[in-house]
Amino acid sequence: MFSLMRIVFLAGGFAAVLAAQPYDLLIKGGRVLDPANHVDRIADVAIAQKKIARVADQIPAADAKKVLDARGLLVTPGLIDLHAHVFGYEGSIFPDDSALPACTTTIVDAGGAGWRTFDEFKVKVIDRSRTRIYAFLNIVGHGMVGPKFENDTSDMDAAKTAEKIQQHRGLIVGIKTAHFGRSGWTAIDRSVAAGKMAGVPVMVDDKITTGSGRASAEKLIEHMRPGDIHTHVFNDRQLEVIDRYTGKVQPWIWEARKKGVLFDLGHGAGSFLWPVASKAVQDGFFPDTISTDLHESSIMIQQADMTNCISKMMHLGMKLEDAIARSTIAPARAIRRQDEIGTLGVGRAADVAVLQLQNGVFAFKDAWGKKAVAQRRLDCALTVRDGAVVHDALGLAYPEWQKAGNYEVLP
Amino acid sequence: MKRIALALLAAASAGAQPVYDLLLKNGQVLDPGAGRRGRMDIAISGKTIARIAPDLPPAAARKVVDLTGYYVTPGLIDIHTHIDAQGAGLNLNPDHQNLRNCVCTAVDAGSSGWKNFEAFKTKVIDHAQVRVLALLNIVGAGMYGAAVENDVNEMDVEAAVKMVKKYPDLIVGIKTAHFQPPTWDAVDRATQAAERSNTVLMVDFHPKPGRGYAELLQRMRPGDIHTHFYGRLTPQLDEHQRVQSYLWEARRKGVLFDVGHGSGSFWFRIAAPAIQQGFLPDTISTDLHKGSIMLPRATMPMTMSKFLNLGLTLEQVIERSTLNPARALRLKGVGTLREGGEADIAVLKLETGRFAFLDSGFGKHYGDQLLRCALTVRAGKVVWDADGLFAEDWQYAGPYSNYK
Repeated sequence: MFSLMRIVFLAGGFAAVLAAQPYDLLIKGGRVLDPANHVDRIADVAIAQKKIARVADQIPAADAKKVLDARGLLVTPGLIDLHAHVFGYEGSIFPDDSALPACTTTIVDAGGAGWRTFDEFKVKVIDRSRTRIYAFLNIVGHGMVGPKFENDTSDMDAAKTAEKIQQHRGLIVGIKTAHFGRSGWTAIDRSVAAGKMAGVPVMVDDKITTGSGRASAEKLIEHMRPGDIHTHVFNDRQLEVIDRYTGKVQPWIWEARKKGVLFDLGHGAGSFLWPVASKAVQDGFFPDTISTDLHESSIMIQQADMTNCISKMMHLGMKLEDAIARSTIAPARAIRRQDEIGTLGVGRAADVAVLQLQNGVFAFKDAWGKKAVAQRRLDCALTVRDGAVVHDALGLAYPEWQKAGNYEVLP
Repeated sequence: MKRIALALLAAASAGAQPVYDLLLKNGQVLDPGAGRRGRMDIAISGKTIARIAPDLPPAAARKVVDLTGYYVTPGLIDIHTHIDAQGAGLNLNPDHQNLRNCVCTAVDAGSSGWKNFEAFKTKVIDHAQVRVLALLNIVGAGMYGAAVENDVNEMDVEAAVKMVKKYPDLIVGIKTAHFQPPTWDAVDRATQAAERSNTVLMVDFHPKPGRGYAELLQRMRPGDIHTHFYGRLTPQLDEHQRVQSYLWEARRKGVLFDVGHGSGSFWFRIAAPAIQQGFLPDTISTDLHKGSIMLPRATMPMTMSKFLNLGLTLEQVIERSTLNPARALRLKGVGTLREGGEADIAVLKLETGRFAFLDSGFGKHYGDQLLRCALTVRAGKVVWDADGLFAEDWQYAGPYSNYK
């Protein structure tokens, strides 16, 4: 009888509480850093029905079903990784367990699939992932599946590529050209042609080799358009950012930036070198967007996930606010999704990163496995994807088991 | 004696010619299998451990890594994982989800059966850097959903045994899991297959009316393993929160109890009282898959840390993640550091502070110790180096460039 009364009482109380709780999740007391909306202050972020419902100085804890104490932590839009590999490429990895624990809520697959293989990519990976996934469609119809295909200009069909993009406007955000090992401009020019047809940007990964007939300046100024993105910016085999004699950033790099070409980090296992990056930043040149080129090998020794890449940029002198902008709103703008992701604006999908800025001694390794020793590191404490807590390193979202009763799975 | 003389000779002439590729110096070695505990150096040549001794000369090695302040243990063995090449289904990438966690030997617990083991071998085992072994599912089609896993006709003892015998170095036992019908078919057939292939049986058990846990333990043979021990499905504690007497009996008989944490098999409210009463797990394992790696973060170091904070000593935790799993699956050449053996080594940092750990139901346990994988050596090669212990500082590395 007692227990029945208790149940009735609890149920009644629960209903009353429900009525008074418009929010599903409330992240309280963190430093909210939302560059797109010029927010940088201690504030509360409320989430309801998978959307950002309110950002304000004080939102009562009683208004939410679940309250997270984020004091001492940073609250930012979920990180956007503009360059990762989750399909096609032999080193591709499954997105969720690599992205979400690093506070990455959106991954852009950089050319794993081409127009022939995109549908398979969608069914096998995009539709099955919790991480939001967009794609740069490879100009190669078969996608990033080795030199035999990637060097085959007859499989670079601009019209078919543009057509596939039109069919999947919601998922395909641009075109990728990569690993072209032959001479001439065919791969880049076809990509740009497809980009023009579909009205999307092109991301370029392009090695300058002897006999390639290509040079960085010509590539950036004459072949790429404003809004096109050159990834692997600190790989001196891709872009000669630094003049080898003066140690300064090349004038045509500045010119390309002025014209509107974007420079993306694309860290990877081969494309971030301390000697290159440190010279570039000494001259005031930072990448526009921070991305990982995460795959089977860069995830190991280089640990090139988003928080690690951001930490490296900060070690090089990038301000925290800037680093967050370049991993949230800047990549969103680069793929023209700034009205959907990359901010904590009210009504936006609730993709949120809760980050911890740690002091200590940390080693960050570049593509060559050489380290820089730093005093700060940005770490991912908690990830909210589409309104749900999906990663929680500090146990912020859950009660102590001793006080939680005979629970099965706590909400 | 001769060996010492050789080492001295090597030390004396070390300036001339390094004899070791890698020297792990000054670590606190913890190797229950060899009874080693204390500061010791480990020298590696090629893929193997060349020497383990208190003070090896740095000049004798091409590369010296100072591990002052770190624990050095045999590479961890996770006897309950689910791995796949590209991570289809629930399975995880073998290398990065294991090697980053100091796991050098990962045992796939029944993802494949006799029908698809060879595909698993070609696609995953043959390419993985981590050592991958398998418990063969008694279900021919493997862990591919209720339709096949509940189908007794899929459980062909003959075919399973044949497959085990074909790959004795890779298939180390038989697994039964997820079986729902209220009969003993799955357990019986898996037991027969284990018996006839002379391997170990691992049981994931869902009790049903007329098919209870106590009876399962009676049926299990010495050396058989019940995984998911601290899960909610099997009654470990009586109404007074006392460990059931049949569990002590089964343990006396030699039945082994494995953690297999996963997304549904570790609750603090079961583990804490059991451990308090002295019922420790025989082996610590993760049941790591897409569902368990995220919120409970059931990696080896995290799972080990949970037990550390529930009262096990560091030595007990290491024993249950190295020596015991090797013994349980009768694995040769792993689980202990041995001169001449393959160099699989875990370098762990024991952090102190305030840490939160979640169980499978997301109940939180605060603890003051956290084990973290700082560096992993697999077959002599440094494959993970979170603290940059092995990495050279770029500013002293001389010029380097991708533009050759």
